[in-house]
Amino acid sequence: MKRVLVYLDRDLLRWKRGRVAVVSNLVMPAAWLIFVGLALPIRFTDHYLDFITPGILILTVLSTSLQGGSLLMFDKVLGFLNKFLALPAPRESILLGKILFITLRGIIQATIILIIAVLIGASLYGPSQYALMYLILFLFGALFAAAATTVALYLEDHDSYAAFNTMISMPLFFTSTALIPYAAMPEWLKVIASVNPLSIAIDGIRAVALGIVPLASIGILTLLGGGVLLICLHVFRHVTV
Amino acid sequence: MTAVETEGLTRFYGDLCAVRDLTLSVDGEIFGLLGPNGSGKTTTVKMLTTLLPPSSGSARICGHDVVREAPAVRERISYVPQEMAVDIKLTGRENVLLFARLYGVPAPLDRTDQALALMGLSDRADDRTATYSGGMRRRLELAQALVHEPAVLFLDEPTIGLDVAARKRIWEHIISLRHDGVTVFVTTHYMDEADRACDRVAFLDRGSVVMLGSPSSLKASIPGETIIARISGSFNPQEIPGLTFVGQRGDLLTFTGPPTQDGITSIQRELDHQGIPVHEIGRREPTLDDVFLQAVGSQDAAGPFDDHRFRLILRRRG
Repeated sequence: MKRVLVYLDRDLLRWKRGRVAVVSNLVMPAAWLIFVGLALPIRFTDHYLDFITPGILILTVLSTSLQGGSLLMFDKVLGFLNKFLALPAPRESILLGKILFITLRGIIQATIILIIAVLIGASLYGPSQYALMYLILFLFGALFAAAATTVALYLEDHDSYAAFNTMISMPLFFTSTALIPYAAMPEWLKVIASVNPLSIAIDGIRAVALGIVPLASIGILTLLGGGVLLICLHVFRHVTV
Repeated sequence: MTAVETEGLTRFYGDLCAVRDLTLSVDGEIFGLLGPNGSGKTTTVKMLTTLLPPSSGSARICGHDVVREAPAVRERISYVPQEMAVDIKLTGRENVLLFARLYGVPAPLDRTDQALALMGLSDRADDRTATYSGGMRRRLELAQALVHEPAVLFLDEPTIGLDVAARKRIWEHIISLRHDGVTVFVTTHYMDEADRACDRVAFLDRGSVVMLGSPSSLKASIPGETIIARISGSFNPQEIPGLTFVGQRGDLLTFTGPPTQDGITSIQRELDHQGIPVHEIGRREPTLDDVFLQAVGSQDAAGPFDDHRFRLILRRRG
């Protein structure tokens, strides 16, 4: 566990020193929030910003988690990973450190987006509602951070990783309930949306906003995250370069 | 206990044999694994550092099997790969401290200071490594590797891409480590550097060891004297009485022959006869290059450049 924190510490230090990325990662979700959340003429709700904010928070976490895979790609391409893998520290601490860092970064960025949302008119939640919301953001972020890191371990270079990232992020976003409620979806999209992990997380946050504890969402995300994590841990223990 | 011991160590990439039946025993010395690019040096080091499982055969580091007891092996080694992998966003001290903490050494701050001092980096320790020269970055990597006092140090091409002064300094550090009792397993394709620093060397050619011994004994194995001619164009090998044509590398021809005879005149005559301009011709002490050429013949004669093989090796190296 101590080694996990050492890896986490390293990534935090590197992040702090690479200031540009901190801002640039926020531009896309902020643009969605402002230009779509405030401007889209929508009939099914009179407060679309409140409807879309959970979706944009999840989008923020999704994009930072998926981008997180490129951190491992950097380590691999630059030769750091080889050095780390030859260390006596348990190899899974590399993975766990990355997941923790990526998730933490996603949550920090989601918080900034949340502040922007509130500033432009989104409703405030109560403290226990925020606690539940952050739990969902964490579980969701960790799930995709684990998957992205492991995919990066297998892909050749940054180009193929960027292609993977583009290939899955937008389809995941558009087939979720981020922008449209189930009621406004065509039948075929409802089926896809209901099994999309994004919808599960977003629906969970919307339930929290209504004062419900979304045990189903939390349970599914925990199981899914746990399963993916086990696979990733196995892969990391046995990776060869 | 022997630091590095391999028995029939073999690694295939698909049907390409990168390392073939390697049997070595290395202990308390600087051991150089020499050979051209793609001869299997990096693959060997990756197997010995537990990064790549052998296809067959076995290897033990300080008595621990690299496959079955990988964690125990990793406790005893340090590995500095070919890529210059220092984190340019961090300072020198932070780079070393990271490894001290990952190794879990007691008093990581003190160990970091010691390792930096050992490599002569104390005065620049708090600068970002982005400002370091190539030689300093390599020394920083050595400091990272030494922070947990390994029994065996694996260095893959430690001087590649460095200027002459930096190379000299790296080798001085490596030699002083050996005096401190560290076994150093180093790969290089710079024969002259290996000649000066290594206690023993092994030549790899297409995955197999073709010669093994101390540099001086290997050089002594070349009979007679060596004559070098620098020419333009390529030499068409012809029988020159009493002399053996070893090979051509670039514009240098190498011949060997008994020291009694005036070989230079015969060679000059043959080259004139072939109409090849000669820029320089003379005797010289044999070098490891000559030993290698003698062992594998002219490198060009060893077959055409195998593009498929080259790419496969580069890719696998990752």
